[in-house]
Amino acid sequence: MFSKFFVIVSLFILIWTGFPAFAGTLVPITSVPVPEQNPQTPEKIELGKKLFFDRRLSGDGTMSCSTCHDPDHAFTDGLDISLSYPTTRNWRNSPTLVNVAFQKFLFHDGRALTLEDQALFPMMSSFEMNRNLDFVEEVIRTVPEYVEAFQKVFNGEPNRERMAMAISAFERTLLSRNTPLERHLKGDKKALSDEARKGLAIFTQKGKCVDCHFGVSLSDDKFYALNVPENPEHQTDPRIAATRRFVAKVYHFEEYRTLTEDPGRYLITKDKKDWKAFRTPTLLEIAKTGPYMHNGIFATLDEVIDFFDRGGGRGNTILKPLKLTDKEKRYLKTFLAEALSGESEIFEYPKVP
Amino acid sequence: MAAGPTVKKILESYQGKVRLVIKNFPYKYRDYAQIAAEASLAARDQGKYWEMHELLIRRSPRLDRESLIVYARELGLDIAQFTESIDKKKHAAAIERDKDLAAKMDLFNTPTFFINGRKIVGERPFSTFKQVIDEELKNK
Repeated sequence: MFSKFFVIVSLFILIWTGFPAFAGTLVPITSVPVPEQNPQTPEKIELGKKLFFDRRLSGDGTMSCSTCHDPDHAFTDGLDISLSYPTTRNWRNSPTLVNVAFQKFLFHDGRALTLEDQALFPMMSSFEMNRNLDFVEEVIRTVPEYVEAFQKVFNGEPNRERMAMAISAFERTLLSRNTPLERHLKGDKKALSDEARKGLAIFTQKGKCVDCHFGVSLSDDKFYALNVPENPEHQTDPRIAATRRFVAKVYHFEEYRTLTEDPGRYLITKDKKDWKAFRTPTLLEIAKTGPYMHNGIFATLDEVIDFFDRGGGRGNTILKPLKLTDKEKRYLKTFLAEALSGESEIFEYPKVP
Repeated sequence: MAAGPTVKKILESYQGKVRLVIKNFPYKYRDYAQIAAEASLAARDQGKYWEMHELLIRRSPRLDRESLIVYARELGLDIAQFTESIDKKKHAAAIERDKDLAAKMDLFNTPTFFINGRKIVGERPFSTFKQVIDEELKNK
């Protein structure tokens, strides 16, 4: 009886996760999770790619998804605080979309659970693309090439849900290719340089990085309050204050008018433990995705490593000082920069109709 | 962060090695962007482009015609000449040319920089520019 139960539970875990990943284990990319309701097809991916680069998706025609998720910057914008709709300021860092298919929560605060949910948020957001969704549906329906492509892909006319599905399908194709870590995990003994191999040992042992950064995308998809220092611009730029208050108001935070910091996941859950907690990000392609942390406060990997080495931000209860030597820090940085960077490919831009 | 101080630092750090060319891209949905572009070029005609540029950024969004004339007075410009220039839209054709160029290059974000053809979008720290400029000077 016991063994039967065990088999059922094991099978369930395998089906549920796609590939077993437990704390501490590193796993190479084998397949990409795709929701049953939105299967990948080449035509859908191509349509999503066009929409991703189409400025029609923003209110004033100046922004597309690619403005803040630029292929030249590993699908970030390379800024501490992300680009924003003209005359406004964003308040957080633009996360990479490479390997986003593996995320169980989207956004730094995890407010979306699927890429299909996520895609419409920035389109509507006043400080991002600032587009009314009823309006954008009509705009896309005026473009014959789009009408034809939606008919072919979805057997129906363009609407917001289908736009989000197509964009998500494109985003699921953005993957790290053949990283040295992946080759190492598949048995290539020469995949890592000496320093990177020593860095991997720091990563998995003394550095404790693997406690949260594990699995295919090197993230546990959980939320932690590490008390990352505030970005000083949050205190000095009134446009950021407006954004912060606006988001807090939308999420029914009572004291939104006097809010002076980013409450992180708390805005979504209203759970005290989530105050200033942010999602564990992927570390794949980390060398290309700076500045780092939800507010881009650290410009370099050295600063990030120093932050974790000293046990995180003041008052946090998650991290403890690591006491890494300078050499160990260097090994760790080499591992992060070398072993987690995939082969670069020439990105083929679509022809937007 | 604003781009102005960074641009100034670049010009100071690379004296004689870089040349700055500014193109206008007044934002189409801002009431005073067009007249502010006119004001900066009218000030340039009197040798005070940068002074006006800085005032415009500092006093934004108060950029209506009357305010611009007050700023021109603050800078000691010839007010009659300045007012005539912005009222008659003396530089409208040049500004339109800049806007057309941006559209042709598929540029919509301000500021956007080109350093020997290499594109940098958005306000960036000095270190970003330094890296690109140093590489370009090395490749000369």
